[in-house]
Amino acid sequence: MASYIFKRLGEMIPVLLIISFIVFALVFVAGNPVALMLPEDASQEDIDQLTASLGLDQPFLVQYGKYLFHLVQGEFGESFRYNTSALPLVLERLPATLELAVAALVLAVTMAIPLGIWSATKQNSPVDLLAAGGSVIGKAMPNFWLGIMLILIFSVMLGWFPVSGRGTLGHLVLPALTLATGLAAEITRLLRSSMIEILNQDYIRTARSKGMREGMVVYKHAFRNSLIPLVTVVALQTSTVVGGTLITETVFSWPGLGQLLIQAVHTRDMAIVQACVFVIAVLVIFMNLVADVLYRLLDPRIKYE
Amino acid sequence: MKKDTLLSVSELKTYFFMESGAVPSVHGVSFEVKQGETVAIVGESGCGKSVTSLSIMGLVSSPGKIVGGDIRFHGQDLTTISEKEYRKLRGNDLSMIFQEPLTSLNPLFTIGSQLDEVILLHQQVTKEEARQKGIEMLKKVGIPRAEQVYRSYPHQLSGGMRQRVMIAMALACEPKLLIADEPTTALDVTIQAQILQLMRKLVKDNNTAIMLITHDLGVVAEMADTVIVMYAGQVVEQADVFTLFAAPAHPYTQGLLASTPKIQTIEEELQSIEGTVPTQETMPKGCRFFPRCPHASEQCVQNQPSLLKIGGGQLVRCWLFDAKEAASG
Repeated sequence: MASYIFKRLGEMIPVLLIISFIVFALVFVAGNPVALMLPEDASQEDIDQLTASLGLDQPFLVQYGKYLFHLVQGEFGESFRYNTSALPLVLERLPATLELAVAALVLAVTMAIPLGIWSATKQNSPVDLLAAGGSVIGKAMPNFWLGIMLILIFSVMLGWFPVSGRGTLGHLVLPALTLATGLAAEITRLLRSSMIEILNQDYIRTARSKGMREGMVVYKHAFRNSLIPLVTVVALQTSTVVGGTLITETVFSWPGLGQLLIQAVHTRDMAIVQACVFVIAVLVIFMNLVADVLYRLLDPRIKYE
Repeated sequence: MKKDTLLSVSELKTYFFMESGAVPSVHGVSFEVKQGETVAIVGESGCGKSVTSLSIMGLVSSPGKIVGGDIRFHGQDLTTISEKEYRKLRGNDLSMIFQEPLTSLNPLFTIGSQLDEVILLHQQVTKEEARQKGIEMLKKVGIPRAEQVYRSYPHQLSGGMRQRVMIAMALACEPKLLIADEPTTALDVTIQAQILQLMRKLVKDNNTAIMLITHDLGVVAEMADTVIVMYAGQVVEQADVFTLFAAPAHPYTQGLLASTPKIQTIEEELQSIEGTVPTQETMPKGCRFFPRCPHASEQCVQNQPSLLKIGGGQLVRCWLFDAKEAASG
C-alpha cells in the first residue's frame, strides 16, 4: 500500500511539469503585464526598463526555465498587487476554499445517497419521480443564479443566513448549498442507475435466498458494491467543485482561492494566477489519488501493483 | 424411512405483468416432493422451471407475481405467509443453489463472511461458533485448505469451488428442501460429476429433499427419483425416473430423449425437436406442443388436454392417451 502511494506520488511529477508549462504558456500569451503596473503616462523607456528588469524581454524558453527553477523552490514570483510572494498568499486563502468544497461535497453526498437508494429500490414511485425531476432542475441551474436566488430568499427575505462573508457556520450554509446542488443531482442519478443494476445481480438473489431482510440486502450487499462508481464520480466532480468555487466565492464574497484568482485575473497579477492554478491542479490530482486508494480498499479484486 | 409429503405445489400460476400484457410463465403447475426424495424438473429454456423454483422460494421479482394456486411446505401455504415468516424459512428449511456460481457470490465479501451470514441469521450461535461451523461446512463439501478458502474472496476461487461454497451455504442450516437450479450447467464435465456426487451424498446424510431444475437428461438419470417434464409453463409428463426413460409417454419427452446423443450409435446428424417453444403471441389454443408434435390431430389444435393418470403413477398431458382411455373406458 505505502509503496503504491509513493509510486503514485512519483507519477505526479511529470503531470505537474506539464501543468506548469501550460500555466506559464497561457500567461505568456496573455501579454505584457507591465503596462498595467505603470501609470498611464509612463514613457516607453520606463516600460522597456521595467520589462527588462522583470526579465520579460527574454525568450519564452529562458523565461520558462527561470520560472521552473523558482517553482521547484516553491517560489511563484512576487504579486504585483500585494508586493509579497504569491504562494503564501494563495496558501493563506486555501483553507477557506477547502472548507467550502468539503462542506459542499459532504452535503451533496448526504443528500444523494438516501435519494439515490430510495429511487432505485422504489422505481417509478413518487419519490423516484420527484428525485428525477429535482435532479434535472438541480443540474440545470447555474451556480451564480442559484447563489443569488438563495441569498434573495434565505438572507434578504427570511433573514435566516448572512448574505455574504465567512466566519460562522451560518455563513457556510448558502454557498455550500449552492455548490452542492448540481453535484447532488449528478450523484443521485448515478447512484440510482448503479443500484438498479446491482440489485439485479445474482449475488443479490443469493443474499435474499438466505432469508436476509431486504434492508440488509440493499445496504450491505448492494450499496457496498455501488460505492465504487460513487467514489469515481465524487473524485471526478472535485475539479467541478473547485471550479465552481470561483463563481460561488465571488457571489458570496467568500475569501477563498476563487475570489483571489478572479481578482488576480482582472488585475493581470500573473504570479498569483499561476500559483492558484497550480495549487488547484495539485488538489485535483491528489483527489484522484485518494479515489484510487479508496478503490483498492473497497474492492478486493483491484490489486496493488 | 417415512415418506411424508414435504412440498406440494398445486395449480401454481406465476405471471409476468409486462407493458404488453400479462405473460403466464408458469400456468397451472402441480407436483409433490416427498421427504428425502429427489425430483427433477426438466424442460427447455423458457418453459417456466426457474420461475417455478423462484415462486417456491418467494423470490419472484417484479413484474412477476404469483396469481393463483398454492404452495404447501410442511402443510403451510407459502403464498399466504408474511414476508417475515418467509425469511425464517429461506436459507433455513428451504434453500437454493443457483445456476451461475461465478456471479452468485458477492465479490466484496470473503467466503467466510458470506457463509457465516446465513448461519448467524438462522441459528443461535456466537460469531466464533458460526466461524467453526462455516469452516466445517467447507470441509464437508470437499474444499481443501478450508481455513484459507474461508478467508478468500470469490474471485480467488474457480467456478467449481464457488459452486461448492454455494452448496455449503445452502446446506449450512440443514434444509428440508434444497432447490438446485441448474447447479452444474456452468461447470465442466468432470466438476459436474463431482458436484452431483457431493449433493447426493450430503442430502442422503441429512434426508434432505432436492428439487433439481435441469435440462440435462444425463443429470436426471444420475440423480432423480421422480421426473417432471415441463413445456411452455405446464407439466406435460410426470413419472418415476425408470419409467420415464423406459417408456416416455408424451411426444415431447420422447423428442427430448431422442435428441440425446447416444454413445453406441454413430449418427450423422443430432436429432432435435423441430420448432421452438411458443411465445405469448403464438401460444396455441389447444395443446401447447401441437405445432411441434409429429402426432398432432385436429383435436390437439382445438382443445387443451388435461393431465391424465396412465398407470404406475405416470401422468401425461396428451390427447393420444385420452383417446385410449376413452376407448378402453
